[in-house]
Amino acid sequence: MSSILSLKATGMLLALQLLLTGAVFAQAPQATPPPPGPPRSLHIPAAVEHTLSNGLRVIVIERTNTPLVAAEVIIKNGAEVDPPGLPGLAHLTASLLTLGTKTRSATKIAEEIEALGGSQSAGAMWDASTVSIGVMSSKVAPALEVMADAVRNPTFRQGEIERLRQQYIDYLNVELEEPSSLASFAASRVLFGNSPYGHGLGGTPDSLKRISRADIVKLHAALYRPANSILILGGDIRPALAFELAEKYFGDWRPALRVSNVNAASPPQPPARRRVIVINKPDAAQAAVLLIQGGIKRLDPDYFRAIVANSLLDGYSGRLNQEIRIKRGLSYGAGSSFEALRDGGSFMASAQTRNDAGAQVAGLLLQEINRLGRVSLANADLVPRKAALIGGFSRELEQINGLVGDLGDHALQGLPLDESNRFVSKVQEVTTAEIQEFAARRLKANEASIVIVGNAKEFLPELRRQFKGVEVIPVADLDLNRVDLRKRRPRAGKGRRD
Amino acid sequence: MRIFLSKFVVTFLALVILIAAASVQAQVRMPRLEFHERTLANGLAVVSAEDRTSPTVAIQVWYHVGSKDDPTGRSGFAHLFEHMMFKSTRNMKSEMMDRLTEDIGGVDNAFTNEDTTVYYEVVPSNYLETLLWAEADRLAGLNVDEPNFKSERDVVKEEFRQSVLTPPYGRFEHLLQQKAFVAHPYRRPTIGSIEDLDTASLPDVQSFHSTFYRPDNATLVVVGDFDQQQLDNWIDKYLAPVPKPPTPLPRVSVREPERKTEARFTEHAPNVPLPAAGITYLIPPVTSEDAAALRVAQVILAAGESSRLYHALVYEQQIAQSAGASANLLEDVSYFVLTGVAASGKKVEAIEASLLAEVKKMQDTSVSAAELDKAINQIVTNQLVERETNNGKALALGGAKVLLGDSERVNTDLARLQNVSAAEVQRVMKKYFNRENRVILYYLPEPGKAPTKK
Repeated sequence: MSSILSLKATGMLLALQLLLTGAVFAQAPQATPPPPGPPRSLHIPAAVEHTLSNGLRVIVIERTNTPLVAAEVIIKNGAEVDPPGLPGLAHLTASLLTLGTKTRSATKIAEEIEALGGSQSAGAMWDASTVSIGVMSSKVAPALEVMADAVRNPTFRQGEIERLRQQYIDYLNVELEEPSSLASFAASRVLFGNSPYGHGLGGTPDSLKRISRADIVKLHAALYRPANSILILGGDIRPALAFELAEKYFGDWRPALRVSNVNAASPPQPPARRRVIVINKPDAAQAAVLLIQGGIKRLDPDYFRAIVANSLLDGYSGRLNQEIRIKRGLSYGAGSSFEALRDGGSFMASAQTRNDAGAQVAGLLLQEINRLGRVSLANADLVPRKAALIGGFSRELEQINGLVGDLGDHALQGLPLDESNRFVSKVQEVTTAEIQEFAARRLKANEASIVIVGNAKEFLPELRRQFKGVEVIPVADLDLNRVDLRKRRPRAGKGRRD
Repeated sequence: MRIFLSKFVVTFLALVILIAAASVQAQVRMPRLEFHERTLANGLAVVSAEDRTSPTVAIQVWYHVGSKDDPTGRSGFAHLFEHMMFKSTRNMKSEMMDRLTEDIGGVDNAFTNEDTTVYYEVVPSNYLETLLWAEADRLAGLNVDEPNFKSERDVVKEEFRQSVLTPPYGRFEHLLQQKAFVAHPYRRPTIGSIEDLDTASLPDVQSFHSTFYRPDNATLVVVGDFDQQQLDNWIDKYLAPVPKPPTPLPRVSVREPERKTEARFTEHAPNVPLPAAGITYLIPPVTSEDAAALRVAQVILAAGESSRLYHALVYEQQIAQSAGASANLLEDVSYFVLTGVAASGKKVEAIEASLLAEVKKMQDTSVSAAELDKAINQIVTNQLVERETNNGKALALGGAKVLLGDSERVNTDLARLQNVSAAEVQRVMKKYFNRENRVILYYLPEPGKAPTKK
């Protein structure tokens, strides 16, 4: 199992594989495949950490099989602290870090990092803002120097702000033409309303226009502080050297006193009842069908029950893809996921399908989510899905980026640094009964809202037979900054009310 | 595998600065990829590389058949067929490959391009023998039925809609390729068309399998945790018995004529938020001596925010929302693509002019040593990332063996890339990027539909 990469508990894995040997091969009607040999084991390196005197937490994980190093600065707040009316502020702020410092222009930063063969990215997500680089291990020092400069000394020049603002507005306008993106933006607003996770990470073209340089400077001063940050280095680098470099480039990072507090994220308020929303985009070649409902926080005791339950639905051989793609040929792929954040979370299931099958696919997504809580689950069905979940997790850790990303998530959410080592046993502990109980309690299909973006006339009649109170919003009337998703301007007289 | 890069980074860099002008390449040496190679009596080529870093193994079977081999009137067929290889075979039920991989924590998939179709599995290494049996089984024969065929064809039609029709610039890429060739089957993009997919039938599946899916048209690549002798024994047991058919392998013989004059097209489509312009140039096959310099040119033009196109069109002039370049290196004849999506309120004519101006700069003035070194560092780092996993190493080996005809080029091509000179880059820019050799495509919203205003 590629999962062995992530675990020390090899015994558990052996047990899993023995269980599988019988189940898997019973299917072959004639000649049967040879059985597997004995599984092999491996250990993963342990992460070490050290906190600098200014409060910056530095974490290092050494793995020397490839001469690459990934480094990431994580600021422990992201788009969830965007002030009301200014969605996109945290992302714009983070993205501007690499576009000019007191001693380097935007062009010089890009040139320096790329001359090292490296790539960099900066941006905000939920609960965090990050700047990350990946370089050959021989180039880590100069790359860290540039990264530290970007985090500590950004100048936020007005010219760069205007340039990036216009670029992001264009980018969003392209993204908003993609039915699946549009559906997921609308769905977040439906689930989270006006609470912090309700807007798109990057804001909207309208909200970006309202952001001023003062807003950016203020956010940077409040958030980008050593005690609110984590530096992670992973790959082909000795911890002693990593700590030395961290001290050299971040040790004297002592910003002036905190300017102001940022908004604490308030708990999300899911809608009182299911909403069924159609965004009518007549030129869409497919309908993007998305189902959303409340999920869990990252530290929720249900976390492992949730991800194991999800593994039954998601993945190539998960139930959603089985029903929608493999059995019926209705989509190139259907899937689902929990997004488990610091103060809340969502569960989403989605598929793209031909327009006339939009309502059918919505029904199938709901049916499978319902079934999870209602129909008892055989262990023989659970075992392979747990294996798929564990395998996917460990493949992620095979690459240094994945290893560092995973460690970063754990550090950010206050989990122990060896959390990955417990992943396999925690997944294995989840029972069929627990999944059914979890699904019945937390995945109530009648609380799930549905968003379909597509050519409405192809699927609306059937959708209305399935659901009451379908809201139809022409794409031109859509306002993602409002909970009702409708622009405030009065409707034209000839418009038909739906 | 150990590499000999100094870990005393600071000292090392100081050294590098001293000798930078002379030999920057010395600092970016790639670890050599050691491999083992054999060819069976039935023609099956085998390339293998042991790597015990993780207890997993990547298995790939490369079939030397791609969308250029789609039967007449059946564009998209090689790819549709690829999907059929996951349905029932002689001894496996539909989706049994997924049972042998996904269900035990592995993964399986496949991809089709113009020249090849590649199937791969990454599994716990104790399942290697099982997967060799399975790959042998689907090489030996398929057993697909009509309902399976029709349902999977619907899946591929959704794939077409999802990748070409639904995303804002899906059709643009499709059109660029269609307009790039006049005779060669490369003019039919791999995904095909809905109409041609609809005319494909179950008998086509059997005939395609017997024509192209044969051991002498296949290369097995195995990378990861295994013992070479044991691997050889299993290959002898499961793959050596698959017979080589006596019939000849058909090969595409159509030659794409040289371009004589510039051609221009304007296409309108729904769902175009910002207009775009693209330019293609015909360039020589992937095996050509010039391929390395063209790859370096691509990186200089378009890799990262310090690249020529991003810097000029997006950052300085602010006329483009995005800009790109790609050397699409193919087996018979290749094409180089330059693209730009206009920023709001900007015109495609301006995009075209700036793309051409950047081409001209590369022709008129040799790139600096620093810019060349940057490109080479970017290429090497990319390769390191690609080769982090067993599957990535297997892709590199398979590509060298099947497309370049020599597995050792997995190592020598990188050395070759690192030795590309500024003069070579300038020479290929002058040789191929001329007016007669260009096709220009404007991609615009449907008449009467204004592009996004905001």
